[in-house]
Amino acid sequence: MTTVSRVVAPVDAGWKRFAPWVGLAVGALALQAAFAGSNAFPGGLDTLISGPIDEAGAWMRENRRSHPLFTGVFMPISDIVDWVVSGLADVLAWIPWFAVVAIGAMLPITRRMYRQALLVAVVMGYVGVFGLWELAMATLAVMIAAITLAVVVGLPLGVVASRHRRVEAALRPVLDAMQTIPAFVYFLPLLMVFGIGNVPGVVATFIYALPPLVRLTVLGITQVPSSAVESSKMFGATSLQTLVKVQLPMAVRSIVTGMSQTIMMALGIVVLIPLVGAGGLGTAIFESLNQRRPGRGLAVGLAIVAIAIVLDRIARASAERDPLKRLAPGAMAGLAVGVLVIVAVGRGAGWVDFPAVWKPNAFDPIDDVVTWLRDNLRGVTRAMNDFVVADVYLPLRDLLVDVVAWPVVVFVTGWIGWRLRGAKLAIFGAAAWLVIGAVGLWSATMDTAVQVLLATLATLGISVPLGVWAGRSPRLESVLSPFLDALQTVPSLVYLIPFVVFFSVGMFPGLIATVMYSLVPGVRITALGIREVPVESVEAAETFGATPRQILLRVRLPLAAPTIMTAVNQVIMMVIAMVIIAGLAGGGALGFLVVESLARSKFGQGVEVGLALVLLAMLLDRFTEAAADRLRPPAGS
Amino acid sequence: MGGPASEPRIVVDAVWKVFGARCDEALAMSREGVGRSDVLEATGCTVGVRDVSFEVLPGETFVVMGLSGSGKSTLVRCLSGLTDVTAGSVRIDGDDVTSMSSSQLRALRRSKLSMVFQHFGLFPHRRVIDNAAFGLEVQGVSKVDRRARALEVLEIVGLAGFEQHYPQQLSGGMQQRVGLARAIAVDPEVLFFDEPFSALDPLIRRDMQDELVRLQDRLQRTLVFITHDFAEAIKLGDRIAIMKDGVFDQIGSAAELIRSPATDYVREFVRDIPKTKVLTARDVMQVGEGGEQRVHADVVVEHLLPQLLSSDSVLDVIDDSGRSIGVVDRAAVIALLEEQV
Ligand SMILES: Nc1ncnc2c1ncn2[C@@H]1O[C@H](COP(=O)(O)OP(=O)(O)OP(=O)(O)O)[C@@H](O)[C@H]1O
Ligand SMILES: [Mg+2]
Repeated sequence: MTTVSRVVAPVDAGWKRFAPWVGLAVGALALQAAFAGSNAFPGGLDTLISGPIDEAGAWMRENRRSHPLFTGVFMPISDIVDWVVSGLADVLAWIPWFAVVAIGAMLPITRRMYRQALLVAVVMGYVGVFGLWELAMATLAVMIAAITLAVVVGLPLGVVASRHRRVEAALRPVLDAMQTIPAFVYFLPLLMVFGIGNVPGVVATFIYALPPLVRLTVLGITQVPSSAVESSKMFGATSLQTLVKVQLPMAVRSIVTGMSQTIMMALGIVVLIPLVGAGGLGTAIFESLNQRRPGRGLAVGLAIVAIAIVLDRIARASAERDPLKRLAPGAMAGLAVGVLVIVAVGRGAGWVDFPAVWKPNAFDPIDDVVTWLRDNLRGVTRAMNDFVVADVYLPLRDLLVDVVAWPVVVFVTGWIGWRLRGAKLAIFGAAAWLVIGAVGLWSATMDTAVQVLLATLATLGISVPLGVWAGRSPRLESVLSPFLDALQTVPSLVYLIPFVVFFSVGMFPGLIATVMYSLVPGVRITALGIREVPVESVEAAETFGATPRQILLRVRLPLAAPTIMTAVNQVIMMVIAMVIIAGLAGGGALGFLVVESLARSKFGQGVEVGLALVLLAMLLDRFTEAAADRLRPPAGS
Repeated sequence: MGGPASEPRIVVDAVWKVFGARCDEALAMSREGVGRSDVLEATGCTVGVRDVSFEVLPGETFVVMGLSGSGKSTLVRCLSGLTDVTAGSVRIDGDDVTSMSSSQLRALRRSKLSMVFQHFGLFPHRRVIDNAAFGLEVQGVSKVDRRARALEVLEIVGLAGFEQHYPQQLSGGMQQRVGLARAIAVDPEVLFFDEPFSALDPLIRRDMQDELVRLQDRLQRTLVFITHDFAEAIKLGDRIAIMKDGVFDQIGSAAELIRSPATDYVREFVRDIPKTKVLTARDVMQVGEGGEQRVHADVVVEHLLPQLLSSDSVLDVIDDSGRSIGVVDRAAVIALLEEQV
C-alpha cells in the first residue's frame, strides 16, 4: 500500500503538495516568535544525570578496594586482563627481536605466501629501525589481548546467535550501538570501573573489535550451504558434531577474512588509549601532537600501519584454507624448529633488543618542510582559516545557538523525521534534542552539529564527484585506491599534526583532518553505487539518444541515489568520530568537553557528553538511513 | 528385477506436507478438495505433498519422478525426517519416523539410512577419505577402522588413488562418486537419492547410472530415487511413481506406465519414450499358439525385431518354466513402432 501512495503522491493537485511545507514554515516562525529572546534551553535539569554519576564516581573511588562489586567482579576481570597483557608484553620483550620478525613471517610462509612473509619482515624492520620497537610491542600486546578476548567472547556469541533467531534479534541493536558510539564515550565509564592503565585500554579496544567478529561469525555460519548441514544431519551427527565438524570449519574462512575489519577497528582505538593511561604507539603520537612534530607523527603513524599489515597478513594466512597451498608437515616442523633455534641463539648470545642503528628522527626533515611551508604560505593559510572560521562557521554557530529558539530546532527535526518515516522517527528526533538540552549541553551540541555539518558538506563536496568519476573510470579508481587505503589505515590523529602546525590550534585544522579522514567511504561507496547501475538501464537511455550528461543526471545518479545516501550516512558517522578527536586540537564543543572530563575525571560531565554524542550520532544515522530508504525505488511486489 | 516378496521396508501412509504458518487450516481446506493455488491464495500456504501413500520392498528401487516443483524433494525430506510431515506417517522397518524424538531419529539414521544429495553436500574442508568416513566418524568409529572402510568404498566407486584430494579438486562426476561412497560407507539398509545426477552432464550421468545399477545388483539395498528424467527412471526403477503438484498420479513399472497411463499427464510423459526398448514380449503378446521360434517373456521388444522381420511367422512366448503363454506377431510390433513416430 505504501508503494502505491508514494507513486500516486506527485500527482496530487495544486496547493496540497505544499501543505506540509507551509505547515513547517508557519510552525517554525510561530515558535520562533513565541520563544524569541529565550533561545537558551531552560536550565535546572543539568545535574539530573551528572549529579548521581559524580556521586557514583566518588563512591567508586572510595570503595574500589573494599566493595564486593570490585573485589569480586571488576578486580578479577581487571587482574586477568592485566595479567594477559603484561604477560604478552613480557614474552614479546623476552623473545629476541629478530625471532619476533621470524615468527611474524612464519605463518605466511607455511601457506607459501612468501611475498607476504617478506612484507611482514620488512615492515617490522621499519618499526625497529625507527626506534619504535618497544612501543610497537606494547601496542601489539594490547591488540592481541583485545582481539583474543573478542574471539573468546564473540565466537560463542555468534554461534548462539546463528542458531537462535531471538538472540540474534536481541543482539543486533546492541552491536549496532556499540559501533555507532564514538570510542571516547566508552573511556570514562571504563576508567571509573577499571582505573587508569592498560586494562580500560584493552577493554575499549575489545568493545570495538567485538561487533564485527560476532557479525562475521553469524554470517559465516549461516552461509554454510544447507546441503552440507543436512548431509551431516542425515548421517546422524548430533548438533554439536555438526557445529564442530562442519559449520565452524566451513565458516572459519569468512570469519578470519573479516578479521582485517576487526583489526582496523581495533587499531583506530588502540591509538587513543593513552588517554586512559595505556601505553604503546599512541603515546608517541600524542607526544608528536603536543610537540608539533608532524615528521615524527608520520613515522609513528607508519609504524601503526606496519602493525596493521602484520596482523592482517597473519590473519589472511591463517584464513587460507586451500590445502594445496600449505607446506608439507615436515617443512612446517622444520620451520618451527628453526624459529626455536633462533630464539635460543638470540637469548644465549644476549641479542634481544633492537640495535639502535638509526636515529629515530629520520623523518624530522618533514617537520622543517612543514614549518617552512607554514612560514611562507602564512598569508594564504591565514586567509583560508579566517574565511572558514569567521565567515562561515562562527555566523552559522551563532545563528543556531543564539538566534534560533530551541523549540524551532526540536520542531523542525520532528517534522523532517515525520516526513521521512513517520511518527516514530519524529518522536525520536525531537526527544533526542530534548534530552540533550536537559543535560545542559544544548549549545555545545549545536556547536558540534555545525562542525559536523560543515565537515560533512566539505567531505561530500569532494568525495561524491570523485566517487562518481571513479565509478565510471576504472583507471581513476585504480590510481586512487592505494591513496584511499593509506588514508584509511593511518590513524586519524596523525592527520591532525601537520594541520595543527599549519594553522595552529583551533577548529579549522580539525576540520581539514576530519574531511581527509572521512573522504574514503564517501568515494568508495559512491563509486560502488555508480558502478552498480544496471548496464541495461544505461544502454536503454543510450538507444533513446541521451547524451552522456543526460545519462549521468537522469539515469546513473537517480539509480545510485540510495547508495550515495548510504555513503552520506557513513561519512557522517566518520565525521562525528573525528570531530571529537579534533577536540584535541582545539576544536572546542563536545570534543573539548570529552577531553576535559577525561583529564579531570569529571565523570558526570563525561557521561553526559557521551550521551549527547550518542544521541547526535543516532539521530543523524537514523535520519540519513531513512532518507536512503525514501530514495530507493519501490520493490517489485 | 523386482524384490523378493516380504514385509515392506518403507511404508508411507497418507503423507501431507504443507508449508506456511496456517498449515492446519490449509490442510483442512485441501482435504475438502480445494485446489493447490486456491489454498495458496486463501492461506498463503504451499501444499508440497498431498496425500501420498506407497510402500517400498527390501531390495527394491523405487523411483519418484516429476517436473520441477512437483514436491519430490519435499517428499524425500519427509521420508528421511529432514522435514516434519503435516499429516500421515512414514514407517521404516515398522518404526514411525514422523513421531520420533530427535535422538531416536539420529539413532535410526546412524543405523539404517543414508542419502545422496543433488548438490553433493560434500565437506570442502575435508579430504575425500574423510568425507567418505564422515558417517562412521560421527558414530564414533576409530580413525583406523573408518579410514579402512572409506578406502574400501572409494575403491568400489572407482576413486582409488584420490583419497587425499579435496572435493573441489575433483570433477562433478567424481564429486558425486564421493557422495555415493560416503552414503554406502555406513552400510545403510535404505538409501535416499535426491536427483543425485541432475547436475552432471549426460555422459557422466550415464556412467553414474551404470555404476549405481552395478552397485545395487551387488548390495541389494532399498533405494528411493528422485529424478525428473524419465529415461533415468526406467533405467533404475523397479517401480516408478509419477508425481504432479504434490500428488502421485500413478505408480507402476515402466511397462505399466506406458501400456496404461492413468492420466493425461502420465501419457504426456511416456509419449516420447522409445517403447520398443521398454516393453517386453509379455506386454505385446496375444493369446495363441504356434510359432517355430521361442522367446522369453521378459525380452524387450527391440530384441525381437530381427527375428520377426526376417520371417513371416509368429514368435512363441514362454515363461520361466518354459511353458508357452502366448504369441507375438509382426502386426503388434509394427503398431508399436508406428505409435512411436
Ligand atoms: N521450505 C519451504 N517453504 C515453503 N515452500 C516450500 C519449501 N520447500 C519447498 N516448497 C514448495 O514446495 C513445492 C515443492 O518443492 P520441491 O522442492 O519439493 O520440488 P521438487 O519437485 O523437488 O523440484 P525440483 O525438481 O526443482 O527440485 C514448491 O512449490 C516449493 O515452492
Ligand atoms: Mg528437488
